[in-house]
Amino acid sequence: MSGAVQLEVRGVSKRFAGLLAVSEVSFAVRPGEMLCVIGPNGAGKTTLFNLLTGQLRPTAGEVLFAGAAVNELPPHERARRGMGRTFQIAKPLMALTVLENVMVSAFLKHPSRRQAEAAALLVLEEVGLLPFARRQANSLTLSEHRRLEVARALALEPKVILLDEVMAGLNPSELAQSIDLYRQLNARGLTFLVIEHNLKVVRAFAERVIVLDHGVMIAEGTAEQILSAPDVVAAYLGRRYACPPS
Amino acid sequence: MSSTEPAAPARVLPGNLVVWGKYAAGMALVLGCMLLSMGSPYWLNIVTYTCLMGGLAGAWNIIGGFGGQFSLGHGVFFGIGAYTTVLLYTGMGLSPWLGMLVGAVLAAAVSLPVSWPTFRLRGPFFAIATMALNQIAFVLVNYADDWTGGPRGILVPFRAGWSNMIFIERWKYGLLMFAFMALVTAVAIAVRRSRLGYHLLAVRENEDAARAGAVDVLGVKLQGMALSAALTAIGGALFAMYLRFVDPNTVFTLAEVGVKFALLTLIGGVGTIAGPILGAILVVPMENYLRGTLGGALAGAHHIIMGALMIAFALFMKRGLVGAATDLLARWQRRRRA
Repeated sequence: MSGAVQLEVRGVSKRFAGLLAVSEVSFAVRPGEMLCVIGPNGAGKTTLFNLLTGQLRPTAGEVLFAGAAVNELPPHERARRGMGRTFQIAKPLMALTVLENVMVSAFLKHPSRRQAEAAALLVLEEVGLLPFARRQANSLTLSEHRRLEVARALALEPKVILLDEVMAGLNPSELAQSIDLYRQLNARGLTFLVIEHNLKVVRAFAERVIVLDHGVMIAEGTAEQILSAPDVVAAYLGRRYACPPS
Repeated sequence: MSSTEPAAPARVLPGNLVVWGKYAAGMALVLGCMLLSMGSPYWLNIVTYTCLMGGLAGAWNIIGGFGGQFSLGHGVFFGIGAYTTVLLYTGMGLSPWLGMLVGAVLAAAVSLPVSWPTFRLRGPFFAIATMALNQIAFVLVNYADDWTGGPRGILVPFRAGWSNMIFIERWKYGLLMFAFMALVTAVAIAVRRSRLGYHLLAVRENEDAARAGAVDVLGVKLQGMALSAALTAIGGALFAMYLRFVDPNTVFTLAEVGVKFALLTLIGGVGTIAGPILGAILVVPMENYLRGTLGGALAGAHHIIMGALMIAFALFMKRGLVGAATDLLARWQRRRRA
């Protein structure tokens, strides 16, 4: 049963005082899938991520991970069960070295320092940060910080990874490298749930796309279906651009 | 990513030999200073206090430096160690060596329920709450006159002997305090290199990021606090046996105890291994010297000078002596390369 669905939300809503940030969203992510969440600014994508990973508790509805309800579990417990995440605004451990940043997560699966160090170095190599292993995290550039976010999540050796706009601001070659890396990890069985604005990336990457607008899930389908759907175009560009495809 | 790239190195961090070698060298240096001072009772007393305060600052540094939880209430644990040891010895004849361990366990046990609510507070609010805990302990000990002696305190009768931890030769106390500092430093190194240490640092740097990295933030803070409290209690026990006297004023005066641990660490370098010791080496002798030379002519002047020093460090050397030294070294290396 847990083989069929990795991560599921059932009728999840989140209300911040008068604002309904996420409204009765339901979808399921299958193991090994690459699912993209898109939507204009303020659509509730990051709130949805925070509900999934436990930084926020839903006002209504249920979150299931690997067949078990995780609504009441704190974020670190969800991470232990195999949920890796990145933050849209990178949260590096500034005073630590890049290696130490990644080791913090690597300790989950490797309790000894030697093993955690070796595992962290492998992850750093994968994301291309190995040359910076000894550098302090506060000396990295913005795009390196994003890769460090990914490295910290990967070091948990998670079942599913939630990436919050980690590809924003990358140059084309970095972008190609990242997509390559994620495809490789996906081929090894890692499930991806990704917030992304770059539609080129969405096309290259996602098997399935869901669209949020004002907290409501307005569409779900393949990248091609979604990117030509009038509702989606309307949500991004406004009603008058959403002419039905001729 | 492609197979032509070199494989990741097995390790980058310094190995056991390097780390513990440095530790041994540092400890040998301090021990050497102590041996040199043995001829003069005045200097021996100062070195003894320096080692004790270095160890206590090191114990504070585990939760205050690594974990970033700026406790000003460590006087509570210091007092628990002092009172437990003295009471068990004077009341039941239990050897202070054992009483000290009882005190350590008790302090760790007390630290958990006391810290649990305060750890919900962050930054200055946490510091203020811990300060309040110190004052509560002060009042309670004064109030429980029947068995703490209240404000009169408790005097430990002089019965020299190893098992009583009471010595005629003062240098034995010096060695004892040195051993305490060496123990605390070894524990700090071991913690810093363990999972707990990495998780404490992660909690200090960013709690949300730590949680996303599967770190149980509250659990890690409690573990760090319990360990820090236990070591602080051992220091309190040694202090009480050195003075052979304990009263609420000596163990619960904020400026001399709770704040002092944090202050020494800040001056030396918070969150570093050598920082607490360096802070003690700079501050304790200077304070004694100033008190000795200015005490008669300008009573209280040494407080003003120490205050000025604190302000100077807070303004110009936020990372303490260790931070300043690392910066200097880095600048020197850069210049040499250029």
